[in-house]
Amino acid sequence: MKIVAVTACPTGIAHTYMAAEQLEKTARKLGHSIKVETQGAMGIENKLTQEEIDSAAVAILAVDIAIEESERFDRVRKIKVPVQSVMKNPEAVFAQI
Amino acid sequence: MKEILQQHKGYLLTGVSHVIPFIACGGILIALSLAYAFQFGHVDAAGAPDLSNAPAWIRDVNLIGTKAFELFPAVLAGFIAYAMAGKPGLLPGFVGGFIASMPQVVGDKNTSAGFIGALIIGLVAGHVVNGLKKLPVPKLLRPIMPIIIIPIFSALPVGLIMLALNIPLAKVMVTMGHFLESLQSGSQIVLAMVLGAMIAFDMGGPVNKAAFFFGAAMIQQGNYMIMGACAAAICTPPLGMGLATLLSRKRWSAEQRESGLAAIGMGMIGITEGAIPFAAADPFRVIPCLMFGSMIAATIAMLGGVGNHAPHGGPIVLPVVTGRWLYVISIVAGALATALAINLVKQVTEKVSSPGENK
Repeated sequence: MKIVAVTACPTGIAHTYMAAEQLEKTARKLGHSIKVETQGAMGIENKLTQEEIDSAAVAILAVDIAIEESERFDRVRKIKVPVQSVMKNPEAVFAQI
Repeated sequence: MKEILQQHKGYLLTGVSHVIPFIACGGILIALSLAYAFQFGHVDAAGAPDLSNAPAWIRDVNLIGTKAFELFPAVLAGFIAYAMAGKPGLLPGFVGGFIASMPQVVGDKNTSAGFIGALIIGLVAGHVVNGLKKLPVPKLLRPIMPIIIIPIFSALPVGLIMLALNIPLAKVMVTMGHFLESLQSGSQIVLAMVLGAMIAFDMGGPVNKAAFFFGAAMIQQGNYMIMGACAAAICTPPLGMGLATLLSRKRWSAEQRESGLAAIGMGMIGITEGAIPFAAADPFRVIPCLMFGSMIAATIAMLGGVGNHAPHGGPIVLPVVTGRWLYVISIVAGALATALAINLVKQVTEKVSSPGENK
């Protein structure tokens, strides 16, 4: 399955990137393809294009704060979870897909 | 109800995430300029730093830091409102927060509504804009909504509300300042223990951020001790876990020993999250030990009067810390406490749970 994801925590220096790594690792394990955009203290990195979002089956938003350019995700099915849940139990997050 | 609270927490955290660099810049630049003043005797008769005879570039460093601080309430409120209402939220949020930063005189104290004013008015601004967006508007008028109607009719009420709140909230700030200054050692210990426990509890999550932001906001108020206690507590979870893997190698797997080294690296630069691999794998044993160590670190730092001018923790902020020796001692003591506690807990519980493991 094709998945896109955004991670964003309040400080944006550690959790954001650890969660992104967990999502990528777990997606690989479960045989999904995933692209994860991070919105940390450096701003948007690994930015998702509108085409990528539109062609994805689902968007995982692992965010504790309001994200930038959220209107990109208006048309896609979204799963919103706290950043912590991705680090504690990523497979449970993927189980919601 | 719970969902609404969750949402509002998200709004506040968005504001906090945008404002952290402003506190860092302001706190560190001002601390550096004042350190220069003390070092080279630029002090007035009362011993307070006086930059009027200092070199121009020192005054500039101080001024730049001060300006970053002055923007702090505006940026905080602006991005809280932005999180709630998008672009139209920025204007009333910025204006409301800017008004909250206006100097106020309460009794003989110079103060302002500061961060409390900014938190409140940011939420107010977001709600006002979201309300205005819902108004039924004839199609003809729709284009002027975002450029005239919403800016004017959000900034006016939000500004008036903040003007009305300025004095009462400034009094709250003064009262809080008095309260923190008047804390005797007994209540200082309680405060430090609560802060330490919160910092370690979720290692960078919302509970940690609440304590951290309290410390960071107090920097702007000129109270550096809260952040001093937080800074010591911030780095002891990863340092303590790393130390635990070094002290008792056989109790930890090769993988854990490796994350132990990584945790020490993260602890040195004040990233509590370094302890997460340990806490995630074994939360019920690890997290209490982390909280224990952080509480000890925070208490020693608080009682020792350690002050921190940067909104960050760990040995990396040592240059802008006052009371450096006690700061180092508090960190070492906290990390040792965590390390010894977790190794002891492992020893006790693992003997009981898996007696056949001694090969």
